[in-house]
Amino acid sequence: MKKICIFLAALIFISGFLFAEGQAEEETATIGISKIVSHPALDAVEQGIMDALRDLGYENIKYDLQNANGDLNTAASIANKFKAEKVSLAVGIATPTSQALATAMKDIPVIYSAVTDPVDAGLVDSYDKGEANVTGVSDMTPVKEQIAMIHSIAGIKTLGHIYSSGEANAVKLASIAKDVCGDMGIDFVETTVTNSAEVKQATQAIIDRVDAIYVSTDNTVVSALSSVADVALKAGVPIMSADPSSAEQFDILAAYGFDYYGMGRVTGQLVAKILEGTPTSEIPTQYMTNEEDLILHINLDVAEKIGLEIKDDIREKADVFVKDGEVVKK
Amino acid sequence: MIEGIFVEGLIYGIMVLGVFITFRILDFPDLTVDGSFPMGAAIMAVFIINGVSPWIALVLAFIGGYAAGCVTAIIHNKLKVPNLLAGILTMTMLYSINIRILQNRANLPLVKAETMLTKVSSLTEGFLPQSAAVLLFFVLVVVLFIIALNFFFHTDMGLTLGAMGNNEQMVICQGVNPKVMKLIGVGLSNGLVAVSGAFAAQYQGFADVNLGQGIVVAGLASVMIGEFLLRSNKIVLLLSRVVLGSILFRGIMYLGRFYGYYINLTPNDLKLITGLLIVLSLAVTQIKKRKRNRQAAS
Repeated sequence: MKKICIFLAALIFISGFLFAEGQAEEETATIGISKIVSHPALDAVEQGIMDALRDLGYENIKYDLQNANGDLNTAASIANKFKAEKVSLAVGIATPTSQALATAMKDIPVIYSAVTDPVDAGLVDSYDKGEANVTGVSDMTPVKEQIAMIHSIAGIKTLGHIYSSGEANAVKLASIAKDVCGDMGIDFVETTVTNSAEVKQATQAIIDRVDAIYVSTDNTVVSALSSVADVALKAGVPIMSADPSSAEQFDILAAYGFDYYGMGRVTGQLVAKILEGTPTSEIPTQYMTNEEDLILHINLDVAEKIGLEIKDDIREKADVFVKDGEVVKK
Repeated sequence: MIEGIFVEGLIYGIMVLGVFITFRILDFPDLTVDGSFPMGAAIMAVFIINGVSPWIALVLAFIGGYAAGCVTAIIHNKLKVPNLLAGILTMTMLYSINIRILQNRANLPLVKAETMLTKVSSLTEGFLPQSAAVLLFFVLVVVLFIIALNFFFHTDMGLTLGAMGNNEQMVICQGVNPKVMKLIGVGLSNGLVAVSGAFAAQYQGFADVNLGQGIVVAGLASVMIGEFLLRSNKIVLLLSRVVLGSILFRGIMYLGRFYGYYINLTPNDLKLITGLLIVLSLAVTQIKKRKRNRQAAS
C-alpha cells in the first residue's frame, strides 16, 4: 500500500510537467536569459539588455531570468526549459551557457553576450557573419590599449598578470597580453590561480618583481580584486584593471575598458533588431573596442598614496575620477 | 521538456551508479568523482574534435576514469590516507590533468561536431523525432549498463565486493585482500562517472574543466531519493532505483526552476534545495529505521 502511494505521488508529480508545457504557450514575446553565475558584471549585462529593450519601446516582454549557479551541468537544463517554453529568443551570458543554448536550440534565435572569442567557443564559424540562428556580442577587452595606457601613466618596465587557468577567456587574454608586452618591449610576469582564495597569495608572490599589475576580465580574479588591491597598495604598485564598473569599489589606480552594463545595452539593441526580423546570419559578432565605448577610471587617492604623478593629458582623457574618497564622473 | 528530464536523469544516472557503488556498496565516500566526471568529458571532446570515433573515445573515457579511481585507491591503500582525503587529492590533481587533456584550454566546444547524439538522430531521421531518438538511445545505454553491472555483481568478485562494504573483516577471513577489492571497486565507479561525463559533454555541446562542480552532491541526492522510492535487496532493483532517483532529482530541480517563482524562489536557491533534499531523505530514513527497530523489539 505504502509503495503504491509513493508511486502515485511520483506519477502526479511527473504529470505536472505536461501542464507546464501547455501553460507556456499562452505568452506573447518571451526572452530567456541564461547566465552562468550571479556576478556583478554579468548581472549588469542582464540589466543592460532589459533597459535597452524597454527604452526601444519593448515593454510587454516577459523575461525568464535563469542562473546556473556556477554548476555547468545545469546549463543544458536551462536550455531545455527555454525550449519547452518556446521562448521567442534566448540570450546566453558567458561561454558555457551560450554553448548549451546553441546546442539545444536549432530554430530559435540564440544571442550570446560576454563571450570573448565566439569562433573559438564554437558558436559561429567566422567573425564576419552570424550563423543561421546564432549571433551576439563579444566582450573581448582592448588589452593593447589597456597596457599602453598603464605604460603612459606609470612608465613601466615589467608588467605582472594574475589570471585563472580554469577560465577559457582569461587564458586567451593572458596570451594576448603576453604578445602585446613582447611587442612593446615590456617584461611580462604571469601567475595563475584556480580559485579566488588563491589570488592574494599569487599577488604576493609576484608583487616585488613588477612595476604594475594588469587584471583582465577574469571573473575569478575580479571577484577577489580587493585582495590584489590590498597587496599592491602596500607595495606601492599601480593596478590596471580591465573592468571600470568594479573599479570604484576598490583602491586600484586605473581601469580602462567598457562596462558590462553598456555591453548589455548593445546586446539589447541586437535583440531588438532580431525581434524586428533581421536574420541572425546577417549580423556579425559585435565588439566593444570603439574608443567612445571605453571608460577610463583614475583613482587620484591611490596615485597619491603610491607616490605617482598623474599627467595632465591623462587627467583630460579620464571619464571617472576618485578624489578624497568621492567619485567624480565627467 | 519531459524527455529532457529523462535524458538528463539517464545521463547523470550512469554517474549516480558510480557514486552508488562507492558510497553504498563499498562504503568508501569517494570525491574523485568531481574530477573524473570532467575527465570523461574532456577525453570524449578531444577525441571527437580530432576525428576519432566516439565509441572508441567512450572506452578511453572509461579507462581514464578507471585509472583516476585507481590512483585514489592506491593513495588510500599504500599511504594510509583517509578515503575522503585521498579522493580530494586525486580530484585536485585531475584539475590540471583535465586542462592538459583539453590541450591547454579550459573549454572545448562540440556545438558543431559530430557526436553520438547527432549520429543517432540522423540514423533515425524520418520515423522518430530527434528528442525521442536521443531518449531511446539513452534508455538503451542505461539498460545495458544495468544488465552488465547486475551480471558483474553476481560473479564471485562482485559478491565479494558487496560483502566487503558490509563487513571488511569477513572478507579478510575468506582470504581476500580488501585493498585489491577497493582498487577494483573505486576504479569501476570512476570509470562509470567518466562515461557519464563523456555523454554529458556531447549532450551539452562542450567539455569544461569546471564541469565537475556539484557532481558528488547531485549524485548523493539522487542515490538517497532513489532509496526513498523502493526498498529491496536485489541488486538489479538497487541499480534501477539509483537511475530512477537520478531522474526524479532532475525533475525536482526542473520544478524548482519552473514553478519556483510562485513562492519567490529564485534560481539561486536551487543549491539550498539540493542540500535540504539530502537532509530530508536522511531524516526520513532514520525515522523509518527507528520505527522498524521498535517493531522488532516489541
